Amino acid sequence: MNRKRLIAALVASLWGSPTPAQSVWNDFQIHGFGAQAVLKTSDNRWFGDSDQTSFDFTELGVNASLRVLPELLVAGQVLARRAGGMSEGTPAIDYALADISLLDSPQHGVHVRLGRIKNPLGLYNETRDVPFTHPGIFLPQVVYFDRVRNLVLSSDGAALFGETTTDFGTFSGTLVYGQSLVDENVEWSYLNGNFPGDIAPDGNSWIGSAWFTSSSQRLKLGLSGAALALRFRPDRDVAWTLDSGTTDILYWIASAQYRAEDWSLTAEYAREPLQWRSYGPAFPDRKAVGEGYYVQATYRVRPPLQLMLTYQEGFADRQDREGNALSAATGGLAPAFSGFSKIWSLGLRWDIDEHWMVRAEYQHNEGTFILSPRENPDPDALAKYWNLFGLQVVFRF
Amino acid sequence: MALAVRRSLRFHGFSLACFACALWPTCLTGQETIVNQSLAPRELTQNEARLYFGMRRRLWADGQPVKIYVLPDDHPLHIAFAKDLLGLFPSQLRTGWDRQIFSGTGQAPTTVANEEEMIRRVASTPGAIGYVSKLPKDPRVRMLEVR
Repeated sequence: MNRKRLIAALVASLWGSPTPAQSVWNDFQIHGFGAQAVLKTSDNRWFGDSDQTSFDFTELGVNASLRVLPELLVAGQVLARRAGGMSEGTPAIDYALADISLLDSPQHGVHVRLGRIKNPLGLYNETRDVPFTHPGIFLPQVVYFDRVRNLVLSSDGAALFGETTTDFGTFSGTLVYGQSLVDENVEWSYLNGNFPGDIAPDGNSWIGSAWFTSSSQRLKLGLSGAALALRFRPDRDVAWTLDSGTTDILYWIASAQYRAEDWSLTAEYAREPLQWRSYGPAFPDRKAVGEGYYVQATYRVRPPLQLMLTYQEGFADRQDREGNALSAATGGLAPAFSGFSKIWSLGLRWDIDEHWMVRAEYQHNEGTFILSPRENPDPDALAKYWNLFGLQVVFRF
Repeated sequence: MALAVRRSLRFHGFSLACFACALWPTCLTGQETIVNQSLAPRELTQNEARLYFGMRRRLWADGQPVKIYVLPDDHPLHIAFAKDLLGLFPSQLRTGWDRQIFSGTGQAPTTVANEEEMIRRVASTPGAIGYVSKLPKDPRVRMLEVR
């Protein structure tokens, strides 16, 4: 009997006493989402066998957060993402962090975050895999590459966040220091193949962002960037592979967005200076400056229906926008049009209710810069002009 | 004659207002920000209200944790409150909450089904803030002015 009472008391203390407002579990939240897309391309492969019809784009995420103390939030999210030949859908920890509030006044807020932190790059990187937080099925690929998404996705380390509110708006900034997560897609994209050996971060990386948001939150201006290095560790047991070279990457984005009640206009410009060193004679040292930009307009026709129009251009090297030097460097193996992408997209989004959303997107592509070489290993099979049609169903809670 | 014209104008003005209200149902309801009686402040600036309802501040000046209660995104009173008192669109609030919920940097406010539940929850939760169309006769909640 006493034991039963003790257990009851323990359960009550954990799950809330008669005054539920006092229980810490009142500040426990679970949210999540699921999305499935159907994709069809006229040529080339994008998220699976899209030249047939691909169902290989699935996103599932569940997160939990608990406010242990008013000043301490712990939160984590598990994400399973199937993306054609680029990702198989094995669940992984998307973020897992403790957010400690050091200063919390009407004018200023200062937080320290420890753990796996989403990198604050551009308008969308932190929630890039959460479908309803961005207008199209795909983020503009020339800025938010899906073929190397993991490189800039998150960091295992620490972040300092600060914001100050004035009469005309809020200034905020974040600085992240930590280890970036690297996968096979990074090797495919930055070394153009899969060589015997592993690619790993060479030391820790820095990620920083600075934002201004007007008081009405209509105007948002920001600058964000990441500085990181990759090192190739050759497999010693094979006859030949690349030498132990490094790739230095600096990636920055300038962002501007204006949101009115029924329409919005967004533009982002990204630049990525790259330097390859010491990979050996088969892969001579070289430099390139990747570049991408887009302009996106949305218009809400009626409350649940939103139209989207996007134009984007991206270049493997801004000194070689036609891709001719790239093609020549590979002895004509890589076509010139694999050095750039110019894409028009038209989308329609229907927010059915608070849980369900459906959207359709049509893209006209010139060039194949955004495609994953891992999904399209044969350069001869690439088509310069190609179209994409996608349909996506999204659920959230 | 002049009086008749004036009356007629007044009548038309009144019917125009009614017509506008029929198209814009939120203008029929007032909006009052309410807080739990445990809170001392009598007023907030609009910027402060935006920070609290944006879930970007966790503590009141006296150290009590902030507890935010809202109605569903498409509720007419929520739309009116967001626009008139916060000067924001409901979609802006949603974007801000989602960014925090799905990056692990914050939590969502508690969504209540209707005004009765709003009053009940604000009345029974220390540090709570919400909004109603008409100030209730409940000693456990009081009005907070947003300047």
